[in-house]
Amino acid sequence: MKKLIFIVLFLVLTIKSYSQVNCYIFPEGSPERQACELCDEAIKHPQGSRESQLLFDEAIAVGPKFAWAYYEKSVPYFKRGYLLEGLDILNEAIKLKPLEYLCYRAYWYWQYRNYTLCIQDLEAYYALPKSFIQFTPGGEKDMRIILGLAYARTGNYAKGIKTIKECLKTYDSEDDYGFADYHSLGMLYVKSKQFDQAIETLKKQLTINEDIADTYYYLGLAYKAKQNTSEAKNQFEKAINKLNDVGRYRNTNAGYNVYLSDIEDALKTL
Amino acid sequence: MIVTILSFGCQTSKELQQHYENQIGDTPFDEAIDNPNFKFCDSTKVLHKRAYIQYTGGEKALEEELIKNYTFQSALNNFTGYFIIRFAVNCNNETGRFRIEVLDSNFKKGHCSKALENHILSIAKSLKQWNHANYRGKDYDGYRFINIKMKNGNIIKS
Repeated sequence: MKKLIFIVLFLVLTIKSYSQVNCYIFPEGSPERQACELCDEAIKHPQGSRESQLLFDEAIAVGPKFAWAYYEKSVPYFKRGYLLEGLDILNEAIKLKPLEYLCYRAYWYWQYRNYTLCIQDLEAYYALPKSFIQFTPGGEKDMRIILGLAYARTGNYAKGIKTIKECLKTYDSEDDYGFADYHSLGMLYVKSKQFDQAIETLKKQLTINEDIADTYYYLGLAYKAKQNTSEAKNQFEKAINKLNDVGRYRNTNAGYNVYLSDIEDALKTL
Repeated sequence: MIVTILSFGCQTSKELQQHYENQIGDTPFDEAIDNPNFKFCDSTKVLHKRAYIQYTGGEKALEEELIKNYTFQSALNNFTGYFIIRFAVNCNNETGRFRIEVLDSNFKKGHCSKALENHILSIAKSLKQWNHANYRGKDYDGYRFINIKMKNGNIIKS
């Protein structure tokens, strides 16, 4: 039931950020209404198709202040490695509606591993007076978790931990936590060598979602650092078993990848 | 006279329209740079689903191979920025249609020595352990890209 609530919550919030716009909110005959209706037509075609791109162009021509057209047009460029082209288009949407589209650019900066630019955008976004909770496009992580992970990727674990803790504090209860939020925090504790906090946090992760292989890996590392060899071995073995489980939870946007060889290497050095 | 005006009108509106391939990312053969021996198994159904094309051993193996084959030449290179390399993997796991883009650390168009750009492209082309896309039980050709991040001439692991 808890998982279902998560999914519904994430979908609702993600849809709020990037979803289709209701064209009827614009006056009939206005440039925005015409642009919006053309975009509605465009998204009926496969994403990235010539037909859709031409319709987005038409929408932009009739309603150059209609931000959603730029946003939708940019998506396939990012997904297909045309970063410069995608940014050129998305930047127009951000100029018009920073509150709605700044996080999306931050997400692609994150995806393309430019953590400095990702941090810049997210700091700018959260400084906006009306900023609201936004999630990754897949809905699995609060963008404040991404900000925390981005700090960590630039070497600032303390700021990463602080950011994630502050994010989690704003939730009413653990029921609102994402499937991997404690994992993200626990992982950063391991990386900053705060092993007691890491163990405590990663154990909490297991009460929310025990299906991430990396959680056991990081628990293993924490126990290893605490010289609890038998528990470390136990956790590394669980990590390998989970990695072989096809039903495991794939922690998208984890920030750090763990491979079978990493776990095997850790086991060898016990 | 009327026909001339009409045809002139059509020409103008066509010229104003931006050219798009069937899909963003479709990369037509360019005889100046592309290997003529690379063929799609079915050029009418080339996927744009990058996650379906994987490297044996995952991204870690891919990066290790890139780093192993990368020769750091300090005289040529203190480059900081990114290389985005787009390419296709056909249903026989062969690669082709490589295109490279150089970006600086602010994600603007970047510059590096031609020697470095060529070297990066050649090590990307030397990756051979690609597994073509299998989507809904069927084999496909597909497009993918890799993003190589560099700091002071060194490849940064993800």
